[in-house]
This record gives sequence, C-alpha cells and structure tokens, in this order.
Amino acid sequence: MFASTFRVTKFALQDFFRNFWLSLVTLTILVLALVTVNLLVIFNVVAKTAINTIEDKVDISIYFKSEISEDQVMNVQKYIQGLAQVKSVDYISKEQALENFKNKHQDNPKIIQSVEEIEKNPLGASLIIKAKNSSDYPAVLDILQTPQYNNLIESKDFDDHKTVIEKINGITQKVGRSVIIIALVFALISILIIFNAIRMAIYTHREEIFAMKLIGATDWFVEGPFLLQGVIFGIMSMVITLLILYPLLGFIRPYLQLILEGDFNIVKYFNQNFLLIFGLELLGAILLNLISSYIAVKRYVKV
Amino acid sequence: MIQFKKISKIFYPKTVAVKDINLSIRPKEFVSIVGQSGAGKSTLIKLLTSQLKPNSGQIIVGGWDITDIKAKEIPLLRRQIGVVYQDFKLLPSKNIYENVAFALEVCGVPNKRINSVVPQVLKIVGLKEKAGHYPDQISGGEIQRAAIARALVHRPKILLADEPTGNLDSLNTKDIIDLLLKINEFGTTIMLVTHNKDVVNRIKKRVVLMDHGEIISDQEEGKYIL
Repeated sequence: MFASTFRVTKFALQDFFRNFWLSLVTLTILVLALVTVNLLVIFNVVAKTAINTIEDKVDISIYFKSEISEDQVMNVQKYIQGLAQVKSVDYISKEQALENFKNKHQDNPKIIQSVEEIEKNPLGASLIIKAKNSSDYPAVLDILQTPQYNNLIESKDFDDHKTVIEKINGITQKVGRSVIIIALVFALISILIIFNAIRMAIYTHREEIFAMKLIGATDWFVEGPFLLQGVIFGIMSMVITLLILYPLLGFIRPYLQLILEGDFNIVKYFNQNFLLIFGLELLGAILLNLISSYIAVKRYVKV
Repeated sequence: MIQFKKISKIFYPKTVAVKDINLSIRPKEFVSIVGQSGAGKSTLIKLLTSQLKPNSGQIIVGGWDITDIKAKEIPLLRRQIGVVYQDFKLLPSKNIYENVAFALEVCGVPNKRINSVVPQVLKIVGLKEKAGHYPDQISGGEIQRAAIARALVHRPKILLADEPTGNLDSLNTKDIIDLLLKINEFGTTIMLVTHNKDVVNRIKKRVVLMDHGEIISDQEEGKYIL
C-alpha cells in the first residue's frame, strides 16, 4: 500500500512537470476562476459597506415640547433604547440644543441677538435615534405614534428622510438580490470552466489511461495520480491567486477608502476573514478538481 | 493453456464478431491467427484480455475460467498475459525504461527488483542504449521492441501480439517476428494475430484461419492460404 501510494504520488508529480504546458494552461484557468470569485467577494463587500455607510448617516430626531421635563424625556429614551430594532439613542438637553443652535449660527449676529432677547430657552430637548437597519425606522415610529408618547413630541423629522430611507431599503434589497444572482452565475461559470479544464487535461491522457488498464493497472492506480494532481492544482491555483490578489487589494484600497469615505480597509477585511474566504475557496477548488478528475477518468478506465 | 469453447460474440443489434469458436492452444505453442479485416481475430484478443465478454461459451486461460470474470479480477488476469499492439500503446510521457518498469510498478514489484529486471529485458530486445529515450525519439521498430519488453517484463506465460508488425517496414517486421520466435523458444506461449501472409508463411508454425467470425482451417505448420 505504501509503495503504491508512493508510486501514485511520483506519477502525479512526474506527469505534472512532463506535461508542463498542459499543466500551465489548466492552472491558469483555475487561477482565473478563483480571481473572478474573489472579485465578486470584493464587489459584495464594497456594496454592503457602501449601503452600511449610507444607512449609518440616516437617523430620526424627535423634538420634545419645551415644557416636557428632563425626566420624562429620559424615560422615553430608556424605553426606546430597550427596543430590539434600536442601535442607539442620543439625548440632547434643552441647554445643549441652545448651545448647538448658537454655534451653528455664530456668524449671524442677528439670530444670536434675537435668541438672547427672548431670555427664555425656546428649544426643547430632543432624542436622536439610530435603528439597526433602515427598514426598522417605520416600526420605531409606529411605537412613538401611540398617544402615550405622541403627546410629548413637538415634531419628528422622519418624514423628511422617509423617501431616502425607502430608497435605501429598495437599493439594499436589490443589491442583495443582485449579489446572490451574480454569485450563483459566477459560481456556475467557474464550476463549468474548472470542470472542462480538468476534463480536457484528462482527455489528452485517454490513450495512456487505456494502455495502463491493459497492462493490468487497477482503477485506483490509474485514477490516483489524476486525483492527486487535482489536489495539487487546487493548492497551487490558490497560492497563485493570493499572490495576484493581495497586490491588487493594496492597489484598490486607497480608491475604495476615497469612495466609501470612511476607515474601510479592504486588505484588513481579507486579512480578518482570511481563513473563511480562502479556506472555503481552497476547499471548493480541491473538491471541484477531485470530482471533475474522478468523473473524467472514470469514463476512460472502463476498459 | 488457452481454451475457447463454443465462444460467440455478437455486437448489438446483430453484428457477429465471432461465432461458435472452439480453439485450444497448448503451453509453449506459437499460433498465428490469420484472416482478413473483420474476420474476428482481434476480437479473440479482446476476449482473452477481458476487454469484451462473450455472449455465450467458455474461455479458460491457464486453468482459470475467465468467462464471467469479476471487474476487480481483470487487472490480475492482464498481469499474467503480455499483450503487444499494432499501435504500441506506450505511455508518451515516460521514457522507454519507465514504460517497461511501469508494467512491474502496477503489479507492486519492489523497486530493487524493478531496477535489476528492466535492464535485462531491455538488453534482450536490444534497447539497453535507448532506455532514456522517449517513444517519439525512437523508430517504429524500436517502439515495438519496447512494447514487447513491457509485455515480457513480468514474465507472462502467454504473449498476445495483435498485428505487431502492422505499422512496420519489412526489415523491422523480420526483427520483431524473430524476437517473438526467440521468446517462444524460452517457453512463452504466443498467439500472433496478423494478416501478413509473408510472416505466417516464413515461420512455419500452427496457423488458424478465420473468416466472418468462424474458424475455417487449423493447420500445424500451416500456411496462410485464402
């Protein structure tokens, strides 16, 4: 068994190097398929990050009537904070609101003078609510529509953002669906390309396989080198893909940072998810190669 | 050594390859199976190597009934029979030494033994100097000698030669037939399938003539007469 395994390994490596051009072509096709899959991963990450960035900029502000006490506002804040859909609730006191107003209009002495003439703070406290998802805002607002809370509220600015939020929700859903469809199409194309590349490589060996069988080689002895080559192709194509991908990621990183206006780092994303992304890709490539090789060789070993 | 008992092989729907063949070949015998294309000669080789299964009858090789041989036993059968083909069937990505060694490697023979046996066999077929060459670097006659070396290296008791001189010129044909006769002298049973009249008539051995899937004559020291 040991000698047989050793010989199968020897034949696999020997064939890989002796049919170098064929190996190179097969490897190139595998690398192209893997790079394509990773481009799709990048597209997916960028699309999701872009949507998250936009979603993050959306919030709703609730302005309380000026006679509402701080305790009442804090109670509302506490209640909203406890909702499952809510990510954060920031409280802005009457004084803070006035301060913010003055800062905002410091270049306009007329407005500042008018505020000072009133003597009494005309602004009420407010809460800035951020939901976990943009689709959660209507549910949060529904709660605030109940008389218990509605009577305390002077105004809400959700209506101003409603159209934007609905659009974002629409885009999020469309992008999500598109990514799934594109991923499936790409996966199918990659599978077909890899399957055909392996099939073609083995097709060129059909006479050899026939000769091996006539000499008395067992199916395992014939199939073994091809299956092992499938594993070698899988590992090598993954390594080459990494060597191509990381410089590419480094190149596009500043552009993506510029577009996404944040501290988004695509290289960091791939580093943090290295095992998940490349582990799955490696496993997928090896499995696909093994299955393709097995199906292709099986056709010719029936002698 | 080889027995065909009322063997018939019919390809779907009704092409008769061989019909009611009764043929017995004794150990150490040299038998030429002759006939025109489509006579059923190569079918006999394919039946003996279990590339085909008969529709009826019985095939016995060295006392082993291979009529209904199981798939997992086929490699064992083929390791006991050496086969030489018209198109050589050498592995193009292996050199001559490796091609010959491969027949032993599939049998699980230890490397030490392979390293001692292969050079001896290459010497017998006159290819010791060409051991490191690849099939596309040597002549047709040399390729066929390499194929014979591969068929012989595990010392089979039976050597089947299916049109071994079909692709060779007259000089190389003579060389190959002389080599087969020499191998036969060492005690190997040889079944030569050919339609080369000159070869058959020169060697003066048993001749079995086939036509349309049937044996129409079987003569000791016969000649190829149509």
